[in-house]
This record gives sequence, structure tokens and C-alpha cells, in this order.
Amino acid sequence: MSYTLHYGQVVPYLTYLAGGAWITLQLAAFAFVIGSTVGLLCASVLEYGPKPARALVRAYVLFVLNTPLLVQIFFLYFALPDFGVVLGSYQAVLIGMALNEGAYMTQIQRAGFRSIRRVEVDAAETLGFSRWQTIRYLIVPHIAKVLFPPLSNQYIILTMTSSIAAIFGVEELSGRTYNVDAQTFRSLEVFSVSALYYVVLTLLASGALYALGRYCFRIKGGVY
Amino acid sequence: MAELLAEAPRFFGYYNLVLIGRAFLLTALLAFAANALGLVVGFALAILRNERIVRFAPLRWMATTYVELFRRIPFLVMLMVVFFVFQYSRFDVSLFGVAMTALALSSSAFLAEIIRAGLRSVHPNQWDAAEAMNMSGLTALRLVILPQAWGVIIPPSLTQSVGLVKSTSIVSQIGLMELTYAAKVLNQRGFSAGICFGTILVLYFALCWPLNLLAARLESKLASPHHR
Repeated sequence: MSYTLHYGQVVPYLTYLAGGAWITLQLAAFAFVIGSTVGLLCASVLEYGPKPARALVRAYVLFVLNTPLLVQIFFLYFALPDFGVVLGSYQAVLIGMALNEGAYMTQIQRAGFRSIRRVEVDAAETLGFSRWQTIRYLIVPHIAKVLFPPLSNQYIILTMTSSIAAIFGVEELSGRTYNVDAQTFRSLEVFSVSALYYVVLTLLASGALYALGRYCFRIKGGVY
Repeated sequence: MAELLAEAPRFFGYYNLVLIGRAFLLTALLAFAANALGLVVGFALAILRNERIVRFAPLRWMATTYVELFRRIPFLVMLMVVFFVFQYSRFDVSLFGVAMTALALSSSAFLAEIIRAGLRSVHPNQWDAAEAMNMSGLTALRLVILPQAWGVIIPPSLTQSVGLVKSTSIVSQIGLMELTYAAKVLNQRGFSAGICFGTILVLYFALCWPLNLLAARLESKLASPHHR
């Protein structure tokens, strides 16, 4: 190998990249919150909704799980303007990620629903709970415990998936990596530093989620 | 919508179909090759991490570090690193080779985790029993552990290979003529984005759906109660 590595030239940009890492975490968090809401709604529809709505949700999940996120966002970003919907790059990425996450969340949360015992639902019915009250007071608190490990895994995966945003010019960690690359032309150095940032970032997130699970839900292990 | 329909006959002309067809084949080939390579490496890693087979701890730590590192790097970044490593090295590797290496590197880390979980799903007593019968670690793996672990390993591995097919779309970033890049090219030739990306969404679906169906079917078939 005749190439000499010059990591020194990347050093001035380390804080700039760290700022990008913060935006990555935010983007993942937004997508996670919207996605899990979508997932909760869809999973509820699948379990309790009318038949046409169930078919619709099933089609949505099937479509999203079997197509790449990148192409979905391409579609949102480039094709929707033809139909009169113009999205900014950040919006398109966020909506794409949230819709994608929503499908995965539907599956995960549905498994959570399934973990609820019929007896408990019957008990709630005997106590005169309405359908909404059953969801609010029985199902949600119950499945929070079951769902915590897969949900925290999803968050970690989302922080990595969000690197796709760079392709659309969003300046999160990967986007800023592209910027630094364009300024220094030290591609290998810049991208390997970025990779290290992602490793550290997800390790920190894993640690935080592990602690959260341990002290809030008494769950041991199981995080990415 | 009417404009899209009016555009369809021109879009699905001979040369476009050839372009898309070749891109489809390339995507499928890339996914298959990377998956095969990733499976081999992932298997080796899972074996290296197993304390019943590898007694030399530093080797296990190295395998663990590889897995922990590579499954925490987003595929886009991994692709760029591999791309530039090959570019600055003396090897003359095609774009296909770059893409395949990057895909296999990141996929192998995930597959290693899946296979390790599968091996751990077999009760440790089985290892002890095999050892008591004077089997070596690898023999025990082959004759005792794996036959019981396949059911736990195969379905999630198939799901992972669906993920790999979807990751190939990111390879368009280095300019390999796979489906996503073909759609971008057609879009830049003036076809509307809806029809370009819509078409390849359908094609990706055609690649991924059978794999997912197979995974679901095998999961319900293989995860039988006699397991453990």
C-alpha cells in the first residue's frame, strides 16, 4: 500500500462531526416516536379493527418490509412532487424512516399484544372497561415490559439507518462526513472516523437503554 | 396519474426493459454472492466465538470485537470505507467486488450473531454429553449441536438476507448499475420519478417477498415443540 494515512487533517472537524452525531440521534428519536405511534395504531387495528382496515394495514406492512428504505425515500422525495406534494429533504427522510419504522413496529407491537392473556382482557371486560380503557390501562402498561428489548434494538438500528439521510443532503453525521470529505479529500480517514463515531454512538445508546431497562422495567440484558 | 399511464408505453420500451432486467439480475446476483460470502464468514465467526470449540480466549475476543464493531457501522459508511480502502490499495477490484465485500462484511456480523444465538439455544448438557463421548468441539458441533440448531438459525438468517437485498439499494451510491441506480439513470433521462422508482419498488418486492414468505413458513415449521 503506497497510501499514507493523515488523520491529523480530520482532527479540526471532530467537533463538527460530533454535532452531526447529535442530529443523527435526534433524527432517530423523531423517527422512533412517530414510527412507534404508527406501529401502535396499526397493531391495534390488526387486533381490533374492522376487516377492510386490517387488510389495508397488512398491505402497508407487507409493502414496507419488502422494499428498501432508500427507494421508498427516493419515491417520497422525487415522485410525490408530481402529485403536488413537495417535501424538503429532512421531511422526506423523516417521513420515510417513520413509515418504515411504523411497519416494523406494527409487527413488534402485535407480538406484544399477543403476549397479553385472554383472561386479563376478560377481567377488564367484567370490570366494565371500555375498549379504549382496556388499551390504556391494561394493554399498554403490560406490554411495555415485554416490548422494551425489541424497541430499544429498533432505536439502535434507526440511528444507523438514519445515515441514509446523507444521500438526500441532510447534515447529520454521515452528511457532515460527506462535507468534510469534500473539504479535505481525506476520504478514507474521514469515513473511518465516521464509522468509529457510529460505533461509539450506538454503544453509548445501548448503555443508556440498558440502564433504562434495568432500572425502569427491571429487564436484564437483551439490548443490541 | 393519467400522465404516468400515458408515459408507460414509452417507459417500458425495449431498451429500458433490457436496462432494468440487467439491473435486476445484477441486484439478485450481488445479493446472492454477498449472502453466501457473509454466511461463510458469519459461520466462522460464530464458531470462533464459541468457548466449547475455541479454547484460546484472545481468538474469541477478536471475533467478538469484529462482530460488535461491524454491526454498529451503518452500511453506507461501511461501503465508503471499503470503497476507499480498495481504491488506495494496489488491488484492482471491480465495483461489484467492492459492493460484495462491503455487503458481506456487514452481513457477516449480523449472521454471526444469529448463528451464535442458534448454537446457544441448544442446551449446554448436549455439549457436555458430546464431550463425555470424546468428541472434539467441531465434531460435537457437526453431529450434535447443529442438527438441533438449524431450526433456530435458518428463519432469522433468511430475514437477514432480505435485509441484505434491501441494503443493495445503497450500493447505487458508488455507481454500480443495480436497480436503484438504473432507476436514477432512467429518471435523469426524463422519465418521471413515480414510474421509475415505482417500477423498481415492485421488483424489489418480487425479490424480497418470497424470501420473507419462506422464512415465515420455515419458522412455523421448524420451531416445533420437540426442540429442547
